[in-house]
Amino acid sequence: MKYTLLWKPILKLVLRELFITILLLLGVSLLIFSILHFAPGDPLHIFINIQTQNPEEIAAIKRELGLDRGIAVQYLSWLNNLIRGNFGNSFRTGKPVFSELINVGVNTLILTIGSLIVTLLIAVPIAVVSSLRRRPFLSWGLTLFAYILSALPVFWLGYIAIYIFAKKFNIFPFLSAGAPSGFRLNWIYFLLPIIVLGIGNGSISEIIRHMRTQLERVLSEDYIKAAKAKGASIWRHSFKEGILIPVTTMIAAKIPFILGGAVVVEQVFNWPGMGRLAWQASLDRDYPVIMGITIFAAVVVHLGRLSQTIVFAFVNPQTSEKGEDA
Amino acid sequence: MRTRYVQRGAEVSEFSQIPIWRRANKKDLIQIGFGLIVVLFVLSSYIAAVLHLLPYDPLGINLKEMMQSPDYKHILGTDFMGRDILSRIIVGSQAYFMPGLLSIIIALFFGTMAGLVSGYNGGRTDSIISYILDLIDSIPKMVIILLAIAFFRPGIYFIMLIVGITNIPTVASLIKSKVIFLKKRNFIEAAKALGLKTRDIIFKHILWYNCKAIVIIQATLGMAEVILIETSLSYLGFGVQEPEPSWGNMVAAGKDYFFRGDFFLSTAPAVAILISILGFYLLGDGLNNLLEWRRRR
Amino acid sequence: MEKEKVVINEVLKVEDLRTYFYSYAKEAFIRSVDSVSFSIRKGEVLGIVGESGCGKSITAQSVMGLITDGPGIISGSILLTHNGKAINLLEGLSDYVSVKTKRKAILEITKDVAGWLKRSEILIKGIRGKVISMIFQNPKSALNPFITVGDQIAESIMLHSSISAKKEAIDAAAKWLERVQIDSPSMRLYDYPFGLSGGMCQRVMIAMALSSEPALLIADEPTTGLDVTIQTKIIELLKQLKEELNLTILLITHDMSVIMQLADRIAVMYGGRIVEYGLKREIMDSNSFIRHPYTIALLNSQPTVEEIKMKERLRAIKGDVPDTITLYRGCRFYERCDLKNDRVKKKCKEAEPEMIEIGTGHYMRCYLAEG
Repeated sequence: MKYTLLWKPILKLVLRELFITILLLLGVSLLIFSILHFAPGDPLHIFINIQTQNPEEIAAIKRELGLDRGIAVQYLSWLNNLIRGNFGNSFRTGKPVFSELINVGVNTLILTIGSLIVTLLIAVPIAVVSSLRRRPFLSWGLTLFAYILSALPVFWLGYIAIYIFAKKFNIFPFLSAGAPSGFRLNWIYFLLPIIVLGIGNGSISEIIRHMRTQLERVLSEDYIKAAKAKGASIWRHSFKEGILIPVTTMIAAKIPFILGGAVVVEQVFNWPGMGRLAWQASLDRDYPVIMGITIFAAVVVHLGRLSQTIVFAFVNPQTSEKGEDA
Repeated sequence: MRTRYVQRGAEVSEFSQIPIWRRANKKDLIQIGFGLIVVLFVLSSYIAAVLHLLPYDPLGINLKEMMQSPDYKHILGTDFMGRDILSRIIVGSQAYFMPGLLSIIIALFFGTMAGLVSGYNGGRTDSIISYILDLIDSIPKMVIILLAIAFFRPGIYFIMLIVGITNIPTVASLIKSKVIFLKKRNFIEAAKALGLKTRDIIFKHILWYNCKAIVIIQATLGMAEVILIETSLSYLGFGVQEPEPSWGNMVAAGKDYFFRGDFFLSTAPAVAILISILGFYLLGDGLNNLLEWRRRR
Repeated sequence: MEKEKVVINEVLKVEDLRTYFYSYAKEAFIRSVDSVSFSIRKGEVLGIVGESGCGKSITAQSVMGLITDGPGIISGSILLTHNGKAINLLEGLSDYVSVKTKRKAILEITKDVAGWLKRSEILIKGIRGKVISMIFQNPKSALNPFITVGDQIAESIMLHSSISAKKEAIDAAAKWLERVQIDSPSMRLYDYPFGLSGGMCQRVMIAMALSSEPALLIADEPTTGLDVTIQTKIIELLKQLKEELNLTILLITHDMSVIMQLADRIAVMYGGRIVEYGLKREIMDSNSFIRHPYTIALLNSQPTVEEIKMKERLRAIKGDVPDTITLYRGCRFYERCDLKNDRVKKKCKEAEPEMIEIGTGHYMRCYLAEG
């Protein structure tokens, strides 16, 4: 019965967020699109080398790729297609951008989310333990250890990991290139980049610090003291504000960062992810692919933010009344 | 493990009159101390690099002394071309130091302006500024940088410019939340009621007295991030190119020698990266605990 | 401070309670509670009254074991009698601590922090919330803002009574809400604290506290955060519940009028110590000669209606609250005392007076009691 009161206002809040997100995505696409078209270099060079520089043929190619129209027209038509779910076709391969993106995008996502989980698994317990103040030296030691881990350059860490597994355990890091199902080869090799990125993405220290600050602040609140006074578990009472909210905040804030780190790790482990596609597409000036990747990345980031908003709305009863954020 | 409490002083003195180093946690002081040492090292490396005060020529190829382990002649040994590793590490700090400062200055300057304006004025200005900053925030840094590199083939300064721009939203939101906090506490209202000039309120009172801590801490964190990004980029081959040394490309060059058992080539610069990032980060963290965090009773 | 052995119906007997906090910055002990002793009998209301900062809240929190922040110690004995058994809530804690003193002043403490904390948790477990319950100042912030009111009361019920089914607990919670005079209790169960007024939140807290039928209720400034009209209602409610349930209450407040309405016995605290202790009617009796100067000053500082009408000046007590760090030699109230005369001045400056009995069960810490 109690939750029926909450549905409508939460929905309102989420719709509002969604609306803003769409505005932002539009803005991002417009921005990137403009930069693409005003930047040096053009997509035609992939074709010009192969074929002759016959001006008629060039014009034909231009027409085919839709590059002969004005920029505004090009943008609007791209947008128009996007709404229908058509990301366009890659200049280079001619195949739909969407399918190319999905293949590699999913791989990168797996890497990103997996390593996020690893990071949280390390950071949250350390944060909780160190805010208890029971054994100050142990918690400080742990925290320092985590900070050091966090400062390790991820590419070096990756190589050390490969070396250890190759030499000591004879597990060789050779994924069959281009095979999205190449993970069949070795579960450990599948986990390795995730763990490496989880440790080396540099956000462990910030997560620990933020969580600790929030948790300590919450634990000193009056209502926790009162909960203690009635013999209740302070963990149950501090969970929502002290752990759940800070964790979702951190997730939303760090996803962009981890996505970035994923690109580096993909290079080290030869992981078939978006990084390579982005690089190749940029060199080719493959506009549809680049736009697709940008939108994809932006959507992932905003999904993180949206889930934060939703969690906030559910946790904080006041949002249902005022429609504001926590 | 027993803790000792000893009563020494018993006279009354106002808490804030006790100098910072007295009221600071030992742990924070150690962190700050370590951080400062690291900063000092980085700074002196930079100066040494600029002035060419190096034990050896970082580019000096000496095939007779290839791959030597550390000894009294070459403190960190030599690499596969006989070049002294220590000198190369010292010079490597050039790759990120100045560009890093650029990135930090841009992020802090525009970020504080944006944060102050949008926090102070609120309303539509706030909405517009927030929108623009959210746009920047929407795309992961690395993606932007990769795109930029592929398109413009920029130098490290341009890259760091972009990094600085991508950090503006973070700084802006921190400053803005501080301004809103002050607003809620009626600080700004009170200042206005006292008749203080708007310009004074914003710059002297809000910015200087209250936001100093944020700015300093973001500067240290920014430097840590810059080191990470620059080394990652030069590892990937985009930043400083061979034969110029950068910690990133040194790790990259050394990685092939791993399997031969020669770890040092990769590890020495990696450790340099580790200590530098750690130092800046601990500095920022310690300062944060000291300056920002109100001790709860 | 009965010097006899534990009286059978004494619910709580506190002896020589000291709660010191250690300040690293000033390298000194903050002696919030500096040797406090009192006892409460069953069905009785003991009111501890004093200015802000005199240590009364800390006393209550020490009894409840809520002092875990910060370095320091709690020493003495807190005897709780329940179901015929007496437990010392500070038992064995001294094993974790070694103290160095010099002329009655504590100079150095060496403490095994982890062991101490663990032991004090073990001692207080099963007592907090069940045998002793507490209600707080600022009821709105004492309730968890993320959980409904009904859930919070039900939590108490499920923790401390035999009811373990959530539904039953919620029903019981509704009954308690009715008992604390909240309208439409079955609807209120699903409200969150932010939607409730201060008075209602306090009632909810009272419901939570009493739902476990505790032997002792500690009320820490229960009316201080509320509007004056609501204050009266809450005091009425407490009075009523006290009659109905034969409650034993430790009431802490700085508001004399609250004490006057509720308390049976009063302890006046100043600077971490009790300076007067006795039955309410003796202390409040304006004909009584001998009362502690501080008590007198407190009572006098309350203006009567005529004085307000005549716009007379308020009779404030001159001076400031003493800081609890400085080690005083003589009486702590010396500077602010209006009643000191030449006869006692020398003694007042030399050494702190002990508690002197001036009537049956009426004690006072002042040299004016002699002779």
